[in-house]
Amino acid sequence: MRGALPVVLAFAVWVAPGLCVAQSAQRAPATPRPYDTLPDWSGAWQMVGGTVFDRATQTGQGGAITPGVRSHPPYNAEWEAIYKSHLDRRDKNLFPDTISNCGVPAGFPRHFNLPDPYEFVIRPEQVWVLTENGPNVLRIYTDGRKHLDDQWATYTGDSVGHWEGDTLVFTTFALKGFRDKDVILDRTGLVLSDQSHVTTRIRKIDPKTIQVDMTIEDPKALTKPWVVTKQFSKMPAGTRVYDYGCAENNRNPADVDSGKTLILGPDGKPLNK
Amino acid sequence: MKHARLGALAVASLLAIGIPMSAHHSNAGFSTDKMVELTGTIKEFQFTNPHTWIQVIVEDDKGVKTEWSIEWGSPNSLGRQGIRPSTFPPGAKVTIRLRPMLNGAPAGGFVGAKFEDGKTVGRWE
Repeated sequence: MRGALPVVLAFAVWVAPGLCVAQSAQRAPATPRPYDTLPDWSGAWQMVGGTVFDRATQTGQGGAITPGVRSHPPYNAEWEAIYKSHLDRRDKNLFPDTISNCGVPAGFPRHFNLPDPYEFVIRPEQVWVLTENGPNVLRIYTDGRKHLDDQWATYTGDSVGHWEGDTLVFTTFALKGFRDKDVILDRTGLVLSDQSHVTTRIRKIDPKTIQVDMTIEDPKALTKPWVVTKQFSKMPAGTRVYDYGCAENNRNPADVDSGKTLILGPDGKPLNK
Repeated sequence: MKHARLGALAVASLLAIGIPMSAHHSNAGFSTDKMVELTGTIKEFQFTNPHTWIQVIVEDDKGVKTEWSIEWGSPNSLGRQGIRPSTFPPGAKVTIRLRPMLNGAPAGGFVGAKFEDGKTVGRWE
């Protein structure tokens, strides 16, 4: 037994404190709300409207790739210049980014700006918002845990929330933003910084409509909070959701150097380079 | 039909034809104001993500064969509308309308198709 003492001491000194820190930061102190008291958001849902991120502030007719279309986030001068440079590239039919078009997560809040079906899976301790396009998964923890103080940035960030009646309220932190020039919000080239964070409220406003209200704050890029509302309409009962393997046969890759969309012929060589 | 029939049909303002602008996709260089009609033989229907492609062998008056690549929507969205991998069976003769590439390359965006038995797919008014 005496020989085991150094091992015990080593555990107590080096390992246990780390476990305690991790557990205190990630502990789930609150009892998750019982499953049978949670709202029913089952089925497949589809975003209403096109993929301009904030249609409420959109100018110009058409979709996100139409010249002249833009949203009006309350950018400061530095980020307005970044956005304008992206709009200029879009108007020349060039990607403002060449990374996010295939193979990396859409990220947040672009997660709520995608075509194709959505699913909202509600469990007592988590809510998952699944998108066929991508595919992407947004995990929202509702088990009482807090955000980590030292959470590193990811595309989708860290989402923690709670229920207020039948409204899911959550905050999202630790977003990559445009720091690595690979997270955009839509094809007009909207971007946010790595200081962005979002408070989101999701509720079913009628049996066939789920509404997502996002209040976006970004002390580096925005001069004031930016409120964006997205709605999702219920698809026909029995709708199936499928794989979305973008790399399966992507014959429209972006040329990394120019940002131009290539069209590959049957031999894999570009028809338009 | 042995010989290709290639004609440019001026269309003032084409409506959307079912090529979704998904996250990876740009305005891919297809004409928005012209439509081409061609007749050939289905080589392959690539019912794959992110977009489907219909490969058609078209033979001209001199017997020269060209493989055309015609892009359509995602197999997921098309599948929900009843389209299947068997919709364009290899070897079938078909006339296809498409929005051609701006640079004249043998590719374009799918509009509609009509088979020898009169069956149509997509927009064929």
